[in-house]
Amino acid sequence: MTDAKNAPLTPMEATAEVLDAQEARQPIALIVPVSAPPELVGKRVVVRQAKGGAKGLVGSFGDAGLDEAALALGTKRLGERRTSKEGVHELKSATGPTIQVYVEAHHPHPDLVIVGAGHIAQPMCSVGAAMGFRVIVVDDRPDFATRERFPEADQILKVDFRNPFADVPMHSTSHVVLVTRGHKYDYECLRHLLQTDVEPPYVGMIGSRRRVRAAFSQLQKEVWEKDGVDTEGTARDRLTRVRAPVGLDIGAETPIEIAVAVLAEIILQWRGGTGAPLMDQERILDRFFKDTEDK
Amino acid sequence: MNSHNDYDVYQAIADKVRGGRAIALATIVSAKGSVPRGVGAKMLVDPGEELVGTVGGGCGEGEVIEAAYEVIKTGEPQMVRVDLTEDLLSLSPAVCGGTMEVFVEAISE
Repeated sequence: MTDAKNAPLTPMEATAEVLDAQEARQPIALIVPVSAPPELVGKRVVVRQAKGGAKGLVGSFGDAGLDEAALALGTKRLGERRTSKEGVHELKSATGPTIQVYVEAHHPHPDLVIVGAGHIAQPMCSVGAAMGFRVIVVDDRPDFATRERFPEADQILKVDFRNPFADVPMHSTSHVVLVTRGHKYDYECLRHLLQTDVEPPYVGMIGSRRRVRAAFSQLQKEVWEKDGVDTEGTARDRLTRVRAPVGLDIGAETPIEIAVAVLAEIILQWRGGTGAPLMDQERILDRFFKDTEDK
Repeated sequence: MNSHNDYDVYQAIADKVRGGRAIALATIVSAKGSVPRGVGAKMLVDPGEELVGTVGGGCGEGEVIEAAYEVIKTGEPQMVRVDLTEDLLSLSPAVCGGTMEVFVEAISE
């Protein structure tokens, strides 16, 4: 073996990288040559976020062109949330061989932050946890924010709704649902959320049309009509992405149905679906059987 | 169907290799049509032990397990093409109508 930096990773070394990235809650992409010179087949390089933000390659195929192509491929794949049907890609290099690689991306399990520990929060926590979310439940009532009520939660935090996210880790995979016991608290929390440093990819707030409208109109008065608070329009811009009323329209009525409607909307946002019934999109009968009927 | 996710499989790889087991990893690297598990689905084969993960239950998994045993013996990785397009309406519970490529490799320290 030559310089370690110039060599690809073994499957075991790559496995250690994947587990380490999971621990650190960082995204990681693995690139595995499946059709290539024998010394490369089954070896790996990985693309990870280096300290400071830029993505970098760990391991090397020993050819600058292949490494550059691998880094580009891994970086692109980390930007997508949907699992691709085609995992095999061609990597070309001006100075080395053209190889076929399999690529897979791992994203840290997203967080589900449920604000309000009431009757909708309970099924949302169980179902969300079963889906693989790391669930964080917050409330200002110690009697509700309990382990007994939320056995599947990763964290249960008692917070002050006047500054609800001070102790809640908020990052680029945090999905936040506001379901507190009162709309004034939902409103308070939304106001804070519009001003957090990192914009969560999903913010949903429960409420009727009237309540949501009231909350938005109050935000208008309190946030961007006051001088200097939202001069760049960031909060206003973020408000356009807030899901309120929250959830997909599946006619949900009971707490668990509402939880499912909200989680369905979160999957849609995370994976990039349409929310429309697949049968309406595919129209198998219309498309494939109409002609035969006419004949 | 078991509920192992990717990380469980990776954790199992680390544990088994450290424990000195001779194992093979099978990964679906491409899939066309209707297949039971998508690209990225993994199965760890440790002869004599329970499988970790799945590449599709009854649908073509036998071929993959056979290849895994061979790969463990030879150390040479294999690409297994699994064709599930026959018998689209068969009454077997393993009803799938696609094709997939499964990369099978031995893993050691």
